[in-house]
Amino acid sequence: MDRFIDLLPAFEAEIRNIREIIISNIVLIGQVPAPTFHEQRRAQRLVERLADFQVDECTIDDFGNPIAIIRGTSPSRPPIFVVAHLDTFSQDQEESYNFQVTDKIISGPGVSDNSAAVGVLASLPEIFRRLKLCFESDIVLVAPTLCLGRGNLKSIRRLLRNWATPIRGAICLESVELGRLNYYSDGMIRGEVECSSIAAVDPWERHRKPNAILVINEVINTILSLRLPQKPRCQIVIGKISGGFDHGNIAYEAKIGFEIRSDSDEMVKDLYGQIRDIVEEFDKRFDVELKLQRISNLNATRLRYNHPLIKCGSRILDRLGVETFSEPSETALSIFLHRQIPAITLGLTHGDNFHQDGAMIEIEPLCKGISQIPALIMAMDHGVCDEQ
Amino acid sequence: MNNNWIEANTFHHSQFKELQRLVAAKERKNLSISLCLPTLNEEKTIAKEIVIMKSELMTRYPLLDEIVVVDSGSTDHTRDIAASYDVRVVEADNILPQLAKYKGKGENLWKALFVTVGDIIVYIDADIKNIHHRFAYGLLGPLLLTDHIRFTKAFYDRPIAEDTNKYRPSGGGRVTELVVRPLFSMFMPDLTQIMQPLSGEYAGYRSIFENIPFHIGYGVETGMLIDIHEKWGLDVMAQVDLDRRVHRNQDTKALGRMSFVIIKTFLDRMERLRRMELKQELFESMIQYALAAGKLQAEGSIPERYERPPIIELAEYREKFV
Repeated sequence: MDRFIDLLPAFEAEIRNIREIIISNIVLIGQVPAPTFHEQRRAQRLVERLADFQVDECTIDDFGNPIAIIRGTSPSRPPIFVVAHLDTFSQDQEESYNFQVTDKIISGPGVSDNSAAVGVLASLPEIFRRLKLCFESDIVLVAPTLCLGRGNLKSIRRLLRNWATPIRGAICLESVELGRLNYYSDGMIRGEVECSSIAAVDPWERHRKPNAILVINEVINTILSLRLPQKPRCQIVIGKISGGFDHGNIAYEAKIGFEIRSDSDEMVKDLYGQIRDIVEEFDKRFDVELKLQRISNLNATRLRYNHPLIKCGSRILDRLGVETFSEPSETALSIFLHRQIPAITLGLTHGDNFHQDGAMIEIEPLCKGISQIPALIMAMDHGVCDEQ
Repeated sequence: MNNNWIEANTFHHSQFKELQRLVAAKERKNLSISLCLPTLNEEKTIAKEIVIMKSELMTRYPLLDEIVVVDSGSTDHTRDIAASYDVRVVEADNILPQLAKYKGKGENLWKALFVTVGDIIVYIDADIKNIHHRFAYGLLGPLLLTDHIRFTKAFYDRPIAEDTNKYRPSGGGRVTELVVRPLFSMFMPDLTQIMQPLSGEYAGYRSIFENIPFHIGYGVETGMLIDIHEKWGLDVMAQVDLDRRVHRNQDTKALGRMSFVIIKTFLDRMERLRRMELKQELFESMIQYALAAGKLQAEGSIPERYERPPIIELAEYREKFV
């Protein structure tokens, strides 16, 4: 492992030499909007860029995932996957985003989740070329679509279900935050409770209808009163709310989005069942229609804490002088781990305002962040990260 | 009017996307190419332009030999940001400092001829939000792949039929359609074939640019087209469709001042070429009105009117380049 770690300063320096190529990829790909379910244009742009960098095989698969394969020298070796999800939270479908670049930062919608990582993914063929790296394993670069929200990681699930050969391991890339080393995911269910009160035709009648916002408020309060055990660890987050249309009118629509997380799948299921009971009860109690919908779900899964892949990732960060932190990750990581494929998620740089206006990433730490990737792939390719 | 020109000399940038072919032509012809970005307070867009041009057309494909930012005295961080990406940044006032100093885009373009080294110079405005390297390679394509084209000009939004019955608008801006095209139609109909005569992106051989005067401000594009047309004819020119360009919009008042300068430049040229005789001196001031406290108040402005001579006439230049 030491010989790969010793290469890190040289990697970082060479990556800094081609930082313009990396920034260009982030901008040229990231400026193409890609809200979940509308990623086609960005997928096309990514594949064009990868082809332009003379990657051996580039395609968009049947599930809409852009895939590029850098052929290895030993066809019998299982491939190593590098993954960065293609879709962004920004729902804006304008023709093009306007990213801004300065000497220090890149800013624009979705840059920190996950356009910078996708730009880096597109730059990897050139980075490997500049570092004169070739690998025994095939390196499969994938930017899965349909990852966020209602996408529920559909495309990566399908891709892995249909992948014909064993997979040696995977590195999932997230734009931020440098130092993250995720190797487990919580069990999770995301759902929405929608309350609609039938709109009355008579304007005076409307004032006697239940206010959907107040009903939803009751639902929230009841969810918050659920008793959550300390072990297994679990949490319910009410993360989204919307409703109503005017200050002076009874709201006849309101909606909340919530997420149940736990390191126990059973606990997640149990809590979801309790929320379903709450919704059913309120549906009967008030003159409204209450609907519960499951948006996405994940199983709790983890890589053993002393797995060589985690150790390698941790040592690399240590050598880069970056403090390591771990947290549960609801990304493609969990799909790999669920299929018993060793995988970790790495962050590439620092950033801010992730899902808001003014989303930005810092340029300078990016070179350090990217240098993790070739070092880790070299280690994986040489079997250092394989479990004995 | 030469009706064949538009068909023979209008290109689309996609015809030149094989960059290796352009690089080979450049090497075969033993040419060097400079990209000049004129700036004035462009801190929001300059880095993106530099980064994309440098990565795609210098690092990956050696099409450009240098990128030079010529700045008119920005008061924001334009110069610092540009310099951080290792390109040459020069303040226009520091180029040929012995000459009288003027401010304006045309001044930057003219002075760029003294500080750049390329046989071909590409000028691209620094305020383009959707910058892409096609803006440069599209303009370079006809210059490198033909032997007769010496000057290329950008236009945006395809004016050509998409199918047999469907046309898109020419995409000319308000000043083009309301000022320049009517003037060209009246006096130089050949030049009406240039879809966007005021577009800020063009490229050409040094031998062209060094032999024409440069208006220091808004008149630079109009004067340049007329002069090239007069000296070398329409066939040395080509126009390239660069698709879409997103940039800052100017308000109507600013466009009025711009039109004033363009009309003046045009009339000066017509007089100089003996195509028209004015019986009076033109006034120098553009008068516009604003409503202040319920009263209309006149606002006079004297737009820049100076014109730099062909730089080849400058001894310092001849010493360096000839």
